[in-house]
Amino acid sequence: MAVIGVDKVSKSFGRLRAVCELSFAVEAGSCFGLLGPNGAGKTTMMKMIYGTAARDANDGGTIEVFGFDPARDELSIKYLSGVVPQENNLDDELNVIQNLLVYAKFYGLPARVARERIASLLAFLELSEKVKARIRELSGGMKRRLVIARALLNNPRLLILDEPTTGLDPQVRHLIWEKLRQLRSGGTTILLTTHYMEEAFQICDRVLIMDKGRKVMEDHPQRLLEQNIERYVLEIPQEHAAKAIDGRRLPEAVRVDHAQGISRFYCDDLDRLKVVTDMLNGQAYYLRQANLEDVFLKATGRGLNEKQ
Amino acid sequence: MRSSETIPYPHLAWRLYSVWYRHMRVYTKNLVSNGLPPFLEPLLFLVGVGLGLSRYITESMDGMSYITFLGTGLLVTTAMFTASFECTYATFIRLEFEKVYDGMLAAPITVNNLIVGEIIWAGTKGLFFSFAVLCILTPFGIVRLPQALLAPLVGFLTGVMFASMSLLVTSFVKTINHFNFYMTGFLSPMFFFSGVVFPVSNLPKPVQLVAQIVPLTHSVRLVRAVCLSRYDPGLLANLAYILVFVAVFGALAVRRLRRRLVS
Repeated sequence: MAVIGVDKVSKSFGRLRAVCELSFAVEAGSCFGLLGPNGAGKTTMMKMIYGTAARDANDGGTIEVFGFDPARDELSIKYLSGVVPQENNLDDELNVIQNLLVYAKFYGLPARVARERIASLLAFLELSEKVKARIRELSGGMKRRLVIARALLNNPRLLILDEPTTGLDPQVRHLIWEKLRQLRSGGTTILLTTHYMEEAFQICDRVLIMDKGRKVMEDHPQRLLEQNIERYVLEIPQEHAAKAIDGRRLPEAVRVDHAQGISRFYCDDLDRLKVVTDMLNGQAYYLRQANLEDVFLKATGRGLNEKQ
Repeated sequence: MRSSETIPYPHLAWRLYSVWYRHMRVYTKNLVSNGLPPFLEPLLFLVGVGLGLSRYITESMDGMSYITFLGTGLLVTTAMFTASFECTYATFIRLEFEKVYDGMLAAPITVNNLIVGEIIWAGTKGLFFSFAVLCILTPFGIVRLPQALLAPLVGFLTGVMFASMSLLVTSFVKTINHFNFYMTGFLSPMFFFSGVVFPVSNLPKPVQLVAQIVPLTHSVRLVRAVCLSRYDPGLLANLAYILVFVAVFGALAVRRLRRRLVS
C-alpha cells in the first residue's frame, strides 16, 4: 500500500518550474530516495508533501499522504510524520532535553510520556550522555542526530529527511544509515533526499533521479545500475589517456567519455578495460566497479547547471 | 486509502499555547538578563527624568501631577517597545537567520497558528513589562492599588496591537537594518506625540489629528483611565480602535507572512 502518492505535480516560482509533472509512489515500510543535483527540485517536492510549499493549483496534480491532501489537511499529515529539515534549526538558547520538551508540546504529549520518549530516543541515537548539554557544545553529527530524535518524538509512521548526512563524517553517516534501516524494519516509511549516491545505494529500496524538476529515471538502485551503466569504469587523467590511446583502436564495446580532465572508459567486461590499461606504460589509473554516481552523472550530465 | 481516519492532532488552543510555550521557554532561559531590565529601566527613568525634571514642572497635566502623568504613560510605552522589538528584530532573526520557523512548521501547527501564537506571546511580554513598571510606580505612590492592577491588561492589548503592526512591517523587510526606519521614524515620534510626555491637547490642530490616528494614543487613554479610575464612555472608542486595529493588521500580517513561510 502506498503511503505517499504523487501524481503529475508541478510547482512554479514565477516563470521558473521547480517541479514539473512529477509522479511517484512510496510504499508503506519502504525507504524512497529523491536524488538530484542542487536545484533539481528535491526539497521543494518534499515541502509540498508536508504542506510548507503549495503545489500549483488546478493543473490536475494531486498529492496524497496517508490519504490526506497536504493542501487541505496538513495537520493530519504533520501529526503522522516526522521531518528532518536540511538545516539543523535547534534552539541554541535551550539545552538538548529542553529542545525536545518544547517540541513535544506541539504534539500534545503529556510531560511524563514526553520524558520517557525522549530518554529512549536519546539512547537510540546514542546521545544519552548529552541530555543536559548546550547546543553549541554539540558536534555537527550530534546536532544532526538530535534533529532526527526531534523528528521521531511522535513515533511517526512517515519520516521525511532532507539531506540527512550532508557534511557529516563517515562514522556518523554509517550510524545514521544503521538507525534509518532499523526504523524501516520497525515499519516506518522513509522518504529522503540526498546527493550521496552511496547513501541511496545503502538504504533506499527505490530511488528517483530528478533533474530540472523532472523525473529522469526511477527504480531499485541495483537495477538502475544494471540497466543504465556498464559494470566497470576505468578512469585515467585525460592527458595521459590522450597520449596512450592516440590513434590506437580501443577494444570492442568500450565506451569513452572525457570530462573535467578525466577520461572514463566503460565496459561490462573487465578484461577489455585491462587491455586499455596495458596501453598506458605504467601511468596511474583507477579501475573500479560502476556505481550509482556514474548513472547519476550519465543521467543528469557532467556540466553544472545555473543553480549549482 | 484511509482519509476517513481522524487524526488526533492537538486542537487550536493547544497549538497556540505550544507556540507561546516555545517562546516563553527561550525567553525565561536567561531570566536575569531578560527579566531585570524591565524593572530597572522605569526606575532609572523615574529617578533621572521624573524626579529631576518634575521639580520644574509644577503645572498639573490633565488633572494629575507630572510624575503620575509620565509614569502612567510608561506603563504602555514599555509594552509598545518590547512587543515591537519582539516582532521585528527577533522575528526576523527567527525567520531568516535561525530558521526556527522551518523547524516549528514541520510539527502539527499551521502558519496561522505560528503567527497568532507569536502575537499572543508579544502581548504577554507587554503584560509583563507593564507589570514591571507598575511594581516600580506603586511603592512611590505614583499609582494606587488595586485599580492600577488593570494596567498590565492594557499592556497586553498594547503588546498585541504593536505585535500585529510590527509583523506586518517585518513581512516587507528584506534586510534587518530596515527596521531602523520603523523604530526611529515611527515608534520614537509616537512616544513624544501620543500624550505620554506631555498632553496633546496643546499641540497644533494637524498634529492633534495625527495623534488621534496613531495607536499609542488610545493605549495611553485607557491606561490612565484604569489607573485613576476615571471612566467615561469615550474609552469604548479607544478600546474599539485597538480591537479593530489588531484584527486588521493581524490579518494582513498573517497573509503576508504566509507567503514568506510557505513557498
